[in-house]
Amino acid sequence: MSQFDLKNEISSKEVEPLLPVEKKLIGFSLGLGIFLLVVLVAINHFVPIKL
Amino acid sequence: MSDIAIKASEPLTLRAQLTEDWLAVVIGLLVFGSALASIGGVDLLGWAVTTSVYTDLTQALNPFAKSYAWLGGGGALIATYVALLVVLSAGVATLGADVRKFALAFTAVFAIAYASWIVGSYAYVAAVTPAEQQKFGLSWSLKLTNEGGFIVALLAGIVIANFFPRFAEWLKEAIRPELYIKVAIVILGATVAVTAAARLNLASSLLLRGAAAIVEAYLIYWAVIYYVARKWFGFSREWSVPLASGISICGVAAAIATGGAIRARPAVPILVSSLVVVFAVVEVLILPFLAQTFLWQEPLVAGAWIGLAIKTDGAAVAGGGITESLIMAKAAAEGIKYQPGWILATTATVKIFIDIFIGIWAFILGYIWTNHIDKGPDRAKPVEIWQRFPKFILGFIVVFAVSLWLAIGSTPEIAKALPAAAGEANVFRVIFFVLTFFSIGVLSDFRKLWQQGFGKLAAVYFVSLFGFVIWVGLLISWLFFSGFKPPLVS
Repeated sequence: MSQFDLKNEISSKEVEPLLPVEKKLIGFSLGLGIFLLVVLVAINHFVPIKL
Repeated sequence: MSDIAIKASEPLTLRAQLTEDWLAVVIGLLVFGSALASIGGVDLLGWAVTTSVYTDLTQALNPFAKSYAWLGGGGALIATYVALLVVLSAGVATLGADVRKFALAFTAVFAIAYASWIVGSYAYVAAVTPAEQQKFGLSWSLKLTNEGGFIVALLAGIVIANFFPRFAEWLKEAIRPELYIKVAIVILGATVAVTAAARLNLASSLLLRGAAAIVEAYLIYWAVIYYVARKWFGFSREWSVPLASGISICGVAAAIATGGAIRARPAVPILVSSLVVVFAVVEVLILPFLAQTFLWQEPLVAGAWIGLAIKTDGAAVAGGGITESLIMAKAAAEGIKYQPGWILATTATVKIFIDIFIGIWAFILGYIWTNHIDKGPDRAKPVEIWQRFPKFILGFIVVFAVSLWLAIGSTPEIAKALPAAAGEANVFRVIFFVLTFFSIGVLSDFRKLWQQGFGKLAAVYFVSLFGFVIWVGLLISWLFFSGFKPPLVS
C-alpha cells in the first residue's frame, strides 16, 4: 500500500463512460432529493420550529 | 461519520472499525454511568481536571468537584491522565494494539494535547467580554474563549505531522481520532439531553430538521459530486464512489463503507480518506470564524452549516463546539447571553442523522454495483446494513434517552442533580475533544497534497467543497433554521 502509485493509478485508467444505470442513479437521487427538500421546506413552513 | 486520515500503509478493515465503535460505546457508558453515581451522592469522577481561564498558571487547573480540592490542580491532572491511560490501554488491548507502545505514545499525546488546552485557556487567548478583560487586567485578548485550546491542539498536531514526521510516526499507536470522537459523542448524549429537556419543543423541532441533512448529504451532494468526479475529472467508478461518499457524507467511514460495498480495492477509500481529513482541518480552521463573523445573529444556522459542511465526525462536532464558543462570545459582547449547548447540539444532530444512513446507502450502492455494473458471485446482502451501521450512535442514543428520562420522567430531586452529573461527564467529553483535535492534526500531512496524483483528487474535493457543498449547506441551513435562536440565559 505504501508503494501505491497514485499517479499511474489515476492517469492510466481509461475513461469509463457513464452507464445508463449510473445516469439513472444520479438522476433519481437528485430528483428525489430536490422533491423531498421541497416537501421538507413546506413542512418547515407549516410546522415552524417551536421555541 | 467517521473521519480521520488513515495512512496508506495502514489498511483499516471494517471489522476493526466496528470493534472500535463498540469500544467507544463501552468507554462512553463507563464515563456516563460513573458520572450518574453523583446523583446518588457518590462522586466517582469529581477528581477529573478542569481548566479555568487564567493569567497565573498556578490557578489554571482544578479538580471538577470541591470535595476533591485536596488533590490540587496537578493532582487532578495526574489522576485524569492515569485513569484515561488505564481505561484506554485496556480498551485498545481488545483491538489487538501494542499496549506498551500505546501507553508511551498516549502519555505524549495527552501531555501535548492537554498542554495545548491550557495554552488556549490563557486569558490573553481566551478572555472574551470587556468584563473578563477587566477582571484579568488586560487591554486586549484574542477572544477565542477557552475552546481556542482546540485550535492550539490542532495546530500542534499539524506542526508535528509536517515538521517532525518521525515523532508523528512514533505517536501513531495513540493517534486514534475516531475512537476519541466516538467516545466524546456518546458522552455528549447527556449534555444534549439536559439541554433538550429545558426546551423540548425546540429540541424536537431540531430533530425533525435533521431529515433535511439526510436528503442533502445522500441524495443531492452525493449525486452531484459523483457526476463531477466521473464526468468532469474522468475518475473511474471505483474512485468516484468513495470520493463522492467521503466528500458528501462523512469522511473515512462513508468512503470505506461505500468503497467496500462496490468491492473497491481497500487502498482506494483509504487514500480518499486521508484527503478528506486534510480538507476537514482546513475547514475547521476557517469556517467557525466565518460563522462567527457572518452568522452570529443566526446561531442555529451556523451550527447546522458546520455539521453539513465539515465532512468528518471529529472535525464537524468539534468545529460545532468552537463555533458555539465564538458565536456565544460575540453575542455576549453585544449583551446577548445564549444558553450554551444549542449550537453544538444542532451540529451534532445534523451529523448523527447523516451517520445513521451510511449502512443503508452503502447497501443501495452495493446492490446496484453487484447486480448491474460489476456482476459477480459476491452480491450485496441486507445484513451489510447492520454491519456498516455506526454502533457508537447506539451509545449516544442510550445516554441521551436515559438522561432525558432522568430529566423529565423521574423525581424533581434527580432532575435537579442531573445537570451537575452531566457536567462531570462533560469534563471528559472536552478532554476527548482535545485528543481528537490533536490526533487529527497529527494525521494531517499536507505534503500528501503535493504527492503526484493527489492533485486531481484534491481538485475534485476543492471544486465540490467550495463550489457547491458549502453554499448549498448554507442555503439549506438558512431555509430550515433561520430566525430561530437558542434560549437566553434566564
